[in-house]
Amino acid sequence: MTTGAADILVAGEGRVDLLDPAAAATGSAGALARTPLQLFWRRLRSDRLALIALGFVVLLVLVAVAAPLVVQIAGVPGPNVLDPNATNAFGAPLGPSAGHPFGVDQLGRDVFARVVYGARASLEVGLLGTALATLIGTVVGLLAGFHGGWVDTLLSRTIDVVLCFPVLLLGLGLGAACDVHGCAAGAIQPGVPTIIAIVALVNWTYIARIVRGQVLALRERDFVLAARSLGASNTRILTREILPNLLAPVIVYSSLLIPQNILLEAALSFLGVGVRPPTASWGQMLADATPIFTTAWWYMVFPGLALLFTVLAFNLLGDGLQDALNPRGQVTHT
Amino acid sequence: MLHKGARRRTAALSITALLALGLAACGSGGESSVHQKAGESPLGQKLYGKHRGGTLIVYDHEDFEHLDPGEAYGAEDYTVLYAVTRPLYSYPPNSATTLKPDVAAAPPIISNGGRTLTVHIRPHIYFSPPVNREVNSGDVAYAIDRGANPNVANPYFGSYFGDLVGAEAAKGGPIPGIETPNKYTIVFHLTKPSATLFYGALSLPLSSPVPPEFVKPLDAHSPTTYGTEYLVATGPYMLKSNSQGKFLGIGYQPGKSLTLVRNPNWNPHTDYRPAYLNQIDVNVGGESSVIGQQVLKSTDAVQNDSPAPSIVQQAYQHYPRQITFTPGSGTYYASLDNARGPFTNIDLRKAVWAELDRDAIVKARGGSLAAQPMTHFLYPGVAGFQAAGGAAGLRVDYNEHPEGDPTVAAKYMKLAGYPSGKYTGSKTLQVVGSNGEPEQAMAQVVNQALQNLGFKTHLSLLEQSAMYDKYCTVPAQEIDVCPNVGWARDFADPQTVLYLPFDGHAITPSGNSNYGQVNDPAINAAMEKATLTVGEPARADAWAKIDDMLVQDAVAAPEVYASDAQIEGSDVEGVDQLWNSGAWDYDFTSLK
Repeated sequence: MTTGAADILVAGEGRVDLLDPAAAATGSAGALARTPLQLFWRRLRSDRLALIALGFVVLLVLVAVAAPLVVQIAGVPGPNVLDPNATNAFGAPLGPSAGHPFGVDQLGRDVFARVVYGARASLEVGLLGTALATLIGTVVGLLAGFHGGWVDTLLSRTIDVVLCFPVLLLGLGLGAACDVHGCAAGAIQPGVPTIIAIVALVNWTYIARIVRGQVLALRERDFVLAARSLGASNTRILTREILPNLLAPVIVYSSLLIPQNILLEAALSFLGVGVRPPTASWGQMLADATPIFTTAWWYMVFPGLALLFTVLAFNLLGDGLQDALNPRGQVTHT
Repeated sequence: MLHKGARRRTAALSITALLALGLAACGSGGESSVHQKAGESPLGQKLYGKHRGGTLIVYDHEDFEHLDPGEAYGAEDYTVLYAVTRPLYSYPPNSATTLKPDVAAAPPIISNGGRTLTVHIRPHIYFSPPVNREVNSGDVAYAIDRGANPNVANPYFGSYFGDLVGAEAAKGGPIPGIETPNKYTIVFHLTKPSATLFYGALSLPLSSPVPPEFVKPLDAHSPTTYGTEYLVATGPYMLKSNSQGKFLGIGYQPGKSLTLVRNPNWNPHTDYRPAYLNQIDVNVGGESSVIGQQVLKSTDAVQNDSPAPSIVQQAYQHYPRQITFTPGSGTYYASLDNARGPFTNIDLRKAVWAELDRDAIVKARGGSLAAQPMTHFLYPGVAGFQAAGGAAGLRVDYNEHPEGDPTVAAKYMKLAGYPSGKYTGSKTLQVVGSNGEPEQAMAQVVNQALQNLGFKTHLSLLEQSAMYDKYCTVPAQEIDVCPNVGWARDFADPQTVLYLPFDGHAITPSGNSNYGQVNDPAINAAMEKATLTVGEPARADAWAKIDDMLVQDAVAAPEVYASDAQIEGSDVEGVDQLWNSGAWDYDFTSLK
């Protein structure tokens, strides 16, 4: 049986139809039964801001995936094309114009195209890094919460240690030590896969703690005890009873992790240990734009705005999801 | 010589006048330095009769590398060393061709068919505290002897001092070919008639006197602590030190600051330097564009290295009296690994040469005031430049279009065995550049050219010193392309521009200046012959022909001839060293 968010549930086995509060309020006869998913969607839909955010995120993903097409439609050159006519006699970049709506950078490369392609790096790290962190965190949290005892102690202390890791220093260190020829026989090198690994390495702990807390609470619930008394194995309980109830908090927290990880990628690229040039990355563009900001404002403003709106959209979406999944405001924190 | 970020040049002349003169000189004779014709008084640079006193503030984006005169080879380090130590001969700021006797009393007496040089030293030159005593010929002998000491490892020892009798076997002990018959005379015996070149080499910091009783114990450390902790001065200034002569932590804090104070034992009667300033405070580090702003708005500050391109425009447009450009500051090029990998193929090298957009690199350095497209390996102001083709260089098809020529590039790709015009091999090129402001833009232009030709590249942008010391000067690292290397003369002779970067015998396992490991037997043979050529016109011709060979062999991908820019505050009367890429000369600079 699939259940929705833990606190929408009334009791264990069997589909439960919840009365539609709106219909109940109007007093119409025969309350309309809706699945938890439909209810979730209704609540989300009524949240204007979250919808706009969702729309932006979907648009961003499409733009990132179809970057070459977008650039072509916009009629600008590619992200790595050097345009000698777009810099003045001193080599200083020229601002927004018909041919370059967002201006160009110091090498005459179109900023609009680079912002569009930069979305790829941000989304790759944001989404894949978060997914990886979520996977690791969920597994660890499940094990720690469910088994308790020495397993829990060991894993919890591990979480504590990893939480102390200085991420940026780790990134800087890897960037300095593993550039050119890489480390571990070339396996570790500055670039998107390494950033995803760093991001996952550092963020799984948040999910793990949340999941552990949830599991600790859930394993004492009646439906779990009932399943156990019917002879269900641990595996069955974990996968059929507990895991489905984790869905909501995991979704909420991982969606809130995404913007953090996007910012982390930008920070690492800013420090020079992110994506390799000439690949576009918003963080790297911000770093390159800093010394010439007084003479070339567009180079900082447009990637900065892109980063700002993306992070804002994911944050608002995360909030909206949280509200939609926990309508009574019972936010499950550890 | 390494002219890394440091650019320097002329002061006092207005920009337009400077450009007019510079361009005229470049276009016409150009054999002597661009700023003066032989025999004329220095253009615009007043050297004497200035105001004494004051403290000059210096901002330096790059840190110093070697403060030991026995080890230094870069323009940056020379700015300090030529204020603190005095070689036997030196160039005054307004000449890049004519040496003045410095510690020496007169030009050397050359005898024995060019195999012997006799130099007389001036009396009454004294070392700074704590040594205090008079300089004698034994101090010059020891200075050169220690160049062969592995704890010092002077990078020029082999190329310029290797002809001394007994130099081959020397390891820091007395070299048989250096004789000191009395305390003011030193005689050099050479195995070959290369006295002309040797005389020029005596202008390098290696010939500045070093007191053996003080320095020998330091040279026993590996590496030596002379230059890292202790330094004894003979010049008008010294590094601020304690009573034992230790400057580390006092006069120099690596990565932070360096302070020069007057040398109390300097005897102005023995020196042509006026030394107006009382003190020079160098601040190391900081963002190049921020430093530039600080300097332009200041009254008493200068920037030691080249300003960022964005500053060049701002200074030229708003502070024209505070910026100078020095044509003929040196070259920038991308080295290609001639020894292994795809670039052992000459046609691939020619394809890169043709494809590279040199005009874009000119722009990356701040436009045509700051740089011009490079067409061959001798540069304006060096003897032989005109004979080797001048500004246009050798007229071969891959050299014709500085804006990049994809058609010619495709032709050479096909000749190299890639009929599609794009590289289809499996090798990913290791490209290691610098993360400095114009440097990383230049590196990306080169990287783009490589990718246009179909190469897959792995571009790393590092701190400049790491780029050189760890990767580009170490053949074992197997770096295919170093897009941010460059060269400037060590002294006036054209050999100093072509030998170390392109002769196969000059390749060393570390500190290697032949970045591309060029090792063509015909070129090597021509160079051996040219090193022994006597007389300036004959040498200019010989080395011009070698320059042609280097172009025909496409040994590297040229980028730009630098006209280093230099900025100063409004009350600074900066004087810059024509011979040293225009760096500010602290011995001649003054405050209003």
